[in-house]
Amino acid sequence: MSASRLLLLCWAGLATLSLCTVALAQVGTSRWLSMVILLVAVGKAWLITDGFMELRHAPHLWRRLMLSWALVLAAVVGLTLVLFR
Amino acid sequence: MCTSAEPSELCRGHLPGDLAMWFFILAELSVFAILILAFAVTQALKPQMFSDSRQLLATSTGLAMTLSLITAGLFAALAQERIRRSRPRHGAVFLLLALLAASVYVVLKVTEYRHLLVSGLGMEHNTFFTLYWILTGFHFLHVLLGMFILGWLAERCRRGLYDAANHNGFECGVLYWHMVDLVWVVLFPLVYVLN
Repeated sequence: MSASRLLLLCWAGLATLSLCTVALAQVGTSRWLSMVILLVAVGKAWLITDGFMELRHAPHLWRRLMLSWALVLAAVVGLTLVLFR
Repeated sequence: MCTSAEPSELCRGHLPGDLAMWFFILAELSVFAILILAFAVTQALKPQMFSDSRQLLATSTGLAMTLSLITAGLFAALAQERIRRSRPRHGAVFLLLALLAASVYVVLKVTEYRHLLVSGLGMEHNTFFTLYWILTGFHFLHVLLGMFILGWLAERCRRGLYDAANHNGFECGVLYWHMVDLVWVVLFPLVYVLN
């Protein structure tokens, strides 16, 4: 697959997930929906990291550091939603 | 710098840009992480206030801002791909398209800020809006700096200063923009959507 096509696919994935975020929010409000919305955000962050920032072939340390940023943040935000209820 | 036979093909183990740029990005992400966590913890302590205040923001505007930022990111990445193929003028065109997409975000954000201020929802209105203004304002400043960098890169592309063998500085500038995108995709659900 050409580099341009891969970038277009990343963009399409990001746009679709963004629309999903808003659609999920309109379904209702529950703890599980909030978790799914956070997971969608992590998916978007990973698409940017691996796709746009091209870390998919980078040294593992840097790739893991960047991928874990969104994952750790989403996990902590999710915990605050669960623990403080 | 990666110099494979196929210019657009990434070498395994290659870290785009400069190592110093990655440390800078990590530092920036750490600052944003602290602000995001402060927002999340305060939200957990004052859920009703955050829920009520969030209703005053338009989710559709947040979605439009997201789409404009990721579109700018796509054009910036396409510009980088053209530079790797030694097509700096094509790269300049894609960077201008990225600036155009980013301008949509700026217009939307300024309109939202103006609307909030006119409605009396400034920084001192309540804790939600204090954190909203700090978090999104700090990100907005990064967008403006990112746009300046993209414009500067476009001018250097126009002058033919980047090509397949010399684009390390270009990659650093584009990485900065992607970092701005990365922060926003976490900010958007937290500020506009989660309830």
